[in-house]
Amino acid sequence: MERTDEDKLIDEVTGKSYEFGFTTDIESDTIAPGLDEGVIRIISSKKNEPEWLLEWRLAAFKVWSDMEEPNWAHVEYEKPDFQAISYYSAPKKKKEFASLDEVDPELLKTMDKLGISIEEQKRLSGVAVDFVMDSVSVATSFKEKLGELGVIFCSLGEAIQEHPELVRKHLGSVVPQKDNYYAALNSAVFTDGSFCYIPKGVRCPMELSTYFRINQAGTGQFERTLIIAEEGSYVSYLEGCTAPQRDENQLHAAVVEIISLDEAEVKYSTVQNWYPGDKQGKGGVFNFVTKRGICHRASKISWTQVETGSAVTWKYPSCILKGDDSIGEFFSVAVTNNMQQADTGTKMIHLGKRSRSTIISKGISSGHSQNSYRGLVQIHPGAEDSRNFSVCDSLLMTDTCGAHTFPYIEAKNPTAQIEHEATTSKIGDDQIFYCLQRGIEEEEAIGLIVKGYAKDVLNKLPMEFAVEAQKLLTISLEGSVG
Amino acid sequence: MLKIKNLRAKVGNNEILKGLNLEVKPGELHAIMGPNGSGKSTLAAVLSGRDSYEVISGSVNFDGIDLLELETSERAREGVFLAFQYPIEIPGVSNLNFMKAALNAKRAHKGLEPIKAKDFLAKVKDCSSLVELDGRLRDRSVNEGFSGGEKKRNEIFQMAMLEPKLAILDETDSGLDIDALRVVSKGVNAMRSSERSFIVITHYQRLLDHIVPDFVHVLSDGCIVKSGGKELALELEEKGYDWLKKSPHEIHNI
Amino acid sequence: MSVFTENFSATLPPPTRRSERWKYSSIAKLLKNEISISKEAAQGKNGWPESVSHNPVISLEAYIAVFKNGVFEPTLSNLPTSDGVECVPFSKREQNEELKFSNTYSKKEWIGELNESYRQDGLYLKVHRNVKVDRPIIIHHLTDGIGVASFPRHFIRVEEGGSLKTVVWSSATDDSSGMYNGILEATIAPNASLSMEKVCNEGGEVFHFSYEHIVQERDSRLKMNTFTIKGNWVRNELEVISLGKGTDSVFNGAYLPKGTEHVDNHTTIDHTCSDGTSSEMYRGVLYGNSTGVFNGKVFVRKDAQKTNAFQQNTNIVADRGASINAKPELEIYADDVKCAHGCTVGQFDLDSIFYLKSRGIDEKYAKALLVEALLNDVLSCVFCLELREEIMRLYTERHEW
Repeated sequence: MERTDEDKLIDEVTGKSYEFGFTTDIESDTIAPGLDEGVIRIISSKKNEPEWLLEWRLAAFKVWSDMEEPNWAHVEYEKPDFQAISYYSAPKKKKEFASLDEVDPELLKTMDKLGISIEEQKRLSGVAVDFVMDSVSVATSFKEKLGELGVIFCSLGEAIQEHPELVRKHLGSVVPQKDNYYAALNSAVFTDGSFCYIPKGVRCPMELSTYFRINQAGTGQFERTLIIAEEGSYVSYLEGCTAPQRDENQLHAAVVEIISLDEAEVKYSTVQNWYPGDKQGKGGVFNFVTKRGICHRASKISWTQVETGSAVTWKYPSCILKGDDSIGEFFSVAVTNNMQQADTGTKMIHLGKRSRSTIISKGISSGHSQNSYRGLVQIHPGAEDSRNFSVCDSLLMTDTCGAHTFPYIEAKNPTAQIEHEATTSKIGDDQIFYCLQRGIEEEEAIGLIVKGYAKDVLNKLPMEFAVEAQKLLTISLEGSVG
Repeated sequence: MLKIKNLRAKVGNNEILKGLNLEVKPGELHAIMGPNGSGKSTLAAVLSGRDSYEVISGSVNFDGIDLLELETSERAREGVFLAFQYPIEIPGVSNLNFMKAALNAKRAHKGLEPIKAKDFLAKVKDCSSLVELDGRLRDRSVNEGFSGGEKKRNEIFQMAMLEPKLAILDETDSGLDIDALRVVSKGVNAMRSSERSFIVITHYQRLLDHIVPDFVHVLSDGCIVKSGGKELALELEEKGYDWLKKSPHEIHNI
Repeated sequence: MSVFTENFSATLPPPTRRSERWKYSSIAKLLKNEISISKEAAQGKNGWPESVSHNPVISLEAYIAVFKNGVFEPTLSNLPTSDGVECVPFSKREQNEELKFSNTYSKKEWIGELNESYRQDGLYLKVHRNVKVDRPIIIHHLTDGIGVASFPRHFIRVEEGGSLKTVVWSSATDDSSGMYNGILEATIAPNASLSMEKVCNEGGEVFHFSYEHIVQERDSRLKMNTFTIKGNWVRNELEVISLGKGTDSVFNGAYLPKGTEHVDNHTTIDHTCSDGTSSEMYRGVLYGNSTGVFNGKVFVRKDAQKTNAFQQNTNIVADRGASINAKPELEIYADDVKCAHGCTVGQFDLDSIFYLKSRGIDEKYAKALLVEALLNDVLSCVFCLELREEIMRLYTERHEW
């Protein structure tokens, strides 16, 4: 069969190296691989945690030991060996810095490579950055400014030391230890993450952001994030991840809990670019994440995400719409290429009257990837007059990729209004040729088409994220029409 | 402007163009007619550089450039425009953004700055009124939800925006009712100039009542078997194509 | 052997509920009726009833062909005479061209076989190349009498580049009963267009069967709207076959049965070639104890790549006793196509009614407004204002809005 131009372009893109693949050589304090009660005690003591937290971890570990790893119909992967992972790795340098001059220059170099140098951040809109690397938070800036408003934004480890009552009150209240296999594991061995607390009526003046990196080979990443928005408050939180190139699969099993009290609003945006594995599907990050928010009366939680990385993704940001008049939103663009597999979606649980949810999910599949969307809309008997609107679109770019949609609609209240739409379309040779004939190059054409397709979601991202997200989308799909 | 010499081209294993010769000078409008399967659309595809069509031999010279050496997008930026027989829908990409991207690609090729927003919008206004293209259609996604007539008008709108040197209209009149045909023809006629050439491929003679050609060629079985002035179109209207199924020698009484 | 089949015999048996195509439209009632081809009509007696205007759309400047009980009425008709159009009833035609009715309906369906065997008159309408017929042509059928059957058969061909607008209207006086069994065959040649508005406004107790078989050749365009205003028992069967690339087919319908009326719309669009588009929108409101059926088949054959097919059926069940059976069917064998379909059945939207009531509009009129809104999308596709207004006037009168 003749080789088309598409074939040649596909060859070109799969040879394209992962932009962010590099390692930082910093001394790390790592414990031996393996997981048992003893390891948990070590972690807890290294972090100087109070007794109640150790008990909480141990309870989680017990629950996890009794659980079985889940199997998912549309995702195939080699199960990680949990005994072969080291559960703690911290750079030896101290983590508190009065100014950036005191930050390890290697770290600064790392941040530069990631394109997020702290200097730049300072000059921009005043984004406060909590830089997480290898299970320990490194730099926290703007702490004072936020402090004036009563906003707490720090690492979870710090919060446990300085605001234990807040952590104790809310930790596990949205995602209990026994929620699922990975949540249980995370509850037992989480090392750090972000903690965010916005007091009553305060509108957080800047976007809060955090970055992750997995550095050491064989280190699982178990981040735990807790965001508490008191009555009438507002916060916009950005999460963006990158990871270096590795042969072994790296596990990322994070938990994010959001508590949005009466009339509060939390926007949680993610741009995820974990290493997706090479074109044979080897290496790459396993991303098993539990993200959930609980909305009290008239409050709102929006999950916005752009996902282009990781070898295997299992992720369902959810909202429990507990309060009357609460709103849950989910906007997502998920790209899979080469041999990536994604089984993602969302859950909107309507408990409160007049609760509303909106789901806009745009999947883009290319190469030999498999992209599944699983969405659950559950209307409980007490959820009078609730409404849901879901759009789930799939865009296929090759004839070897797959897109699957599984909407689950459970309505136990007759006044509910649920709308679901799903479409599947192709970027075909004809569309590319049409653009070429108008003088637009193929890469630009794909960029135009993909941006047009994803614009409903990209519009929801905070601006600086939107720019990175758009670039990311185009890069991850270069040459992928075929 | 355009010199096609002995062009032979195939799709898969089928040779469709079997030694086509054609010369188009600046300012001229050539009509190409012929029965189904004669190679009309193949000619358009080959000139625009469509992948699945392979040139076996022959040459195409466009203003001193070897056109066959260039990629599709390069040919476009050099000034070749193809109005598609079945224009493609591109959901999510607005008509305006599409035009802006194309215009700027052409300008960049010429070493110019991207077009200013104000100038762009003014240009859009002029070109859309030329083909009576509704303001709402301009803002929609490329050809999505457009009727057949609207799609064809959109092609002419794009042609007006991009101001090509050579415009190839591939069966632009197919599927158009009288009113749409009138509007499309008006647009094409308004774009005629001494610096611009047209190759109008048509199956139905009716178009040529509105867009009067300088030359008419009949394409049959991959070659041009007869050429003439606009009267030839009328002759075809009366006689059909059967009388041309003889070999070129017989027709030209050689 | 039924009362009906004693007068009209056929080799095929009448369809029963076990036949998929007639599952929801039982003809049992028809079979119990004593019906025959009206002798009076054949003898030209009885004249035209006062209650029905011979031209149903008087305000429209149009040609008209009038048939009563299947017989052509020359004094009431006004046919075009210009060169570009051949418009003549079969009864008056010189048989110089052998007509081939291409469809096989009469071989497959009992109803079709009856029409073939008992065929009366019909219109032969041919539009020549590149001719746009200056005025629409109305074909008006009237059923007048007790136990009357009529079997018209029409033939339309629009040649290359031609353009034709037609209205096919069937009426019946309020004391009539019987059967109307009409077949219309049309071919639209390459790059030609045909517009057809079909209206059924029959009083009395007539069983109405109409079948349209329309073949579209390359690049041709079809616009067809089927309005059922009044009819005891109506079966509209429309079959559109696209035999060429780039065809465009738009066919819509509206039905508002009440009382014990029954309206059945069966449509088929068959895409056999690439780059075709079709759009179908059928809207219905069912009152009283009426029953409705919608069955829309969309075929996209293997070579019909780049087909864009759209189908939508919206139904409001206005009263408890009414019901609708809706079955959209899509059979798609090509892989590069865009096909969408939607089907809804529901009641009047209570919020909208309440909103209108809160502005002082009573419930009945509020519902009327909502129905009007529903109808408008279909009405707006009708080619002329006069016809739109007449159809709306008839609906308004019928439902006392």
